[in-house]
Amino acid sequence: MSDHYIFSRGRLKRKHNTIYFESGEEGQKALPVERVDNLHIFGEVDLNSKLLNLLTKYDVRLHFYNYYGFYTGTYYPRTKNVSGFTVVQQSMHYLDPKKRYYMASAFVESGVHHMLRNLRRHKEKTGSYVDTIQAERVKIPDGRTIPELMGVEGRIRQTYYRSFNEILKSDFIFTKRSKQPPADPLNALISFGNSLMYTTVLAEVYKTALDPTVSFLHEPSSKRFSLSLDVAEIFKPLIVDPLIVSLVNNRVIGKKHFEDFEGIVLLNDQGKQRFIQEWEKKLATTVRHRTLKRKVSYRMFIRLECYKMIKHFIGDEPYRPLKAWW
Amino acid sequence: MYVIITYDVGEKRVYKVCKKLREYLTWTQNSVFEGQIGKGKLTQCMHELDNIIHPQHDSIYLYQVNNQNHMKKTVFGREKGFDDLFL
Amino acid sequence: MTTSISGVQVYYYSVCKRKLWLFSKGITFENEHDRVLEGKVLHERSYPYLERKEQLIDNTFKIDAVEGEYVREVKISSKMANADRMQVLYYLDQLRQRGVNKKGLISYTKERKTEEIELTPVEERKLKESLQKILDLLDQPIPPPFKRLPYCNQCAYHSFCYAREETEE
Repeated sequence: MSDHYIFSRGRLKRKHNTIYFESGEEGQKALPVERVDNLHIFGEVDLNSKLLNLLTKYDVRLHFYNYYGFYTGTYYPRTKNVSGFTVVQQSMHYLDPKKRYYMASAFVESGVHHMLRNLRRHKEKTGSYVDTIQAERVKIPDGRTIPELMGVEGRIRQTYYRSFNEILKSDFIFTKRSKQPPADPLNALISFGNSLMYTTVLAEVYKTALDPTVSFLHEPSSKRFSLSLDVAEIFKPLIVDPLIVSLVNNRVIGKKHFEDFEGIVLLNDQGKQRFIQEWEKKLATTVRHRTLKRKVSYRMFIRLECYKMIKHFIGDEPYRPLKAWW
Repeated sequence: MYVIITYDVGEKRVYKVCKKLREYLTWTQNSVFEGQIGKGKLTQCMHELDNIIHPQHDSIYLYQVNNQNHMKKTVFGREKGFDDLFL
Repeated sequence: MTTSISGVQVYYYSVCKRKLWLFSKGITFENEHDRVLEGKVLHERSYPYLERKEQLIDNTFKIDAVEGEYVREVKISSKMANADRMQVLYYLDQLRQRGVNKKGLISYTKERKTEEIELTPVEERKLKESLQKILDLLDQPIPPPFKRLPYCNQCAYHSFCYAREETEE
């Protein structure tokens, strides 16, 4: 299965029972519909209902990003893996405050595990940050409410991002996290990576019986498929952050890949493409799984997390979040 | 697995075979397609091709490697078709 | 509550009770599994000359094909011969309840052999017992616990059942 990223201006259409992309400069290009998993649209693209019907039949998702590269929405085929039973069980785990806290804290705990894993790779420089995070981390299981847990998570993340100043070479400096809009190159990288993480998690959640709107750490009433935000907590420090460090430190991405729109700093198309190129490589990287006893890609690890959550909800096996062991 | 499919079929069926293959693989040259594909999808694809061709006149060759790393591909001249990450 | 049972459920009952339970709750993994796709193609390829292919009976269950006095079913291999038998017996019983008496014939394509199946009183009793056990199983609030079976590797549910964290530290 593959993802494609469309940056050119053009038309996506259904032709010969498969997907074609037509653009002025390069003529047309066929994409094998049996193989496409997700299409990410960054450019100005026209499409019609005939195409959407084809995508629905073959279960392909369309993710849209605006001019600035911010995620704006997903065309999500009529869901196929419906299990009312699972959705009811998942919702019960939201409604019971104890059960909800169990899930929410599992996501945070796993995320922090992966943050510390990143920092320990630069032990000499990050020791004091690790200590600060460790001191905060012990509060995760004691919290009573989700806002308390969010507070702990927020403080840990602050320390974590500040430590990037020790890890990153060159002139990428972290002052404070600015999301909307990003105020500096590092924030632009984090925002872009997190958008990709969100759509990737959403695509995997969608393939399972889970309901993407019923979440635990984030409020389900938010405008997004908030379960994706929950699960992304685990994978952002495992996938996005090491990628950013390597892109900056190996000078794959430099100052010239950013544009400044009156204080809004964003990756330009070349920068985005370099990011995506490495992103796809990272997701395809495999690790031998200890209980599956076969190689599993980072992308598949996201799906496995969904499976473990389902098992938890239906009373099969308590959920224990991924903690990278390699 | 990674597969390469080449075909030599009657004029009337060339278009149909090409069209069918576009649903599964990437066009790389005239009468040549290649790409990564699962075992089940490949079975399905070959079955559909089998319904198109005339077994007495046409031939389709299927080359497969389990691991793409075990195959070295060198292109001389212009690379005509490839799997695009970016469009 | 008695809901109608499908042939697949009878088949899964003999293969793996956990799979049956999960499948019945709508937790499915079949749609992208290689072996399932191969099975689908096999069904399409088999017996194209049979006019009455894929019969949907009373909107409740589907049978592959009816040919003369036989209900036919094709399978890739005979590894799950017992489950295959149960599935066909179930069809025969359902047809008999509707006043149609047939015999069953399972074709194993890889091994080029067929097996004939008859709904004898002994088989009928066995089937009835299984059907009752299936209904009981579906009433269980939680799935039967994971149990390693020799054919887990080939199952569409493999990643689901085996995805877990090892005990730490």
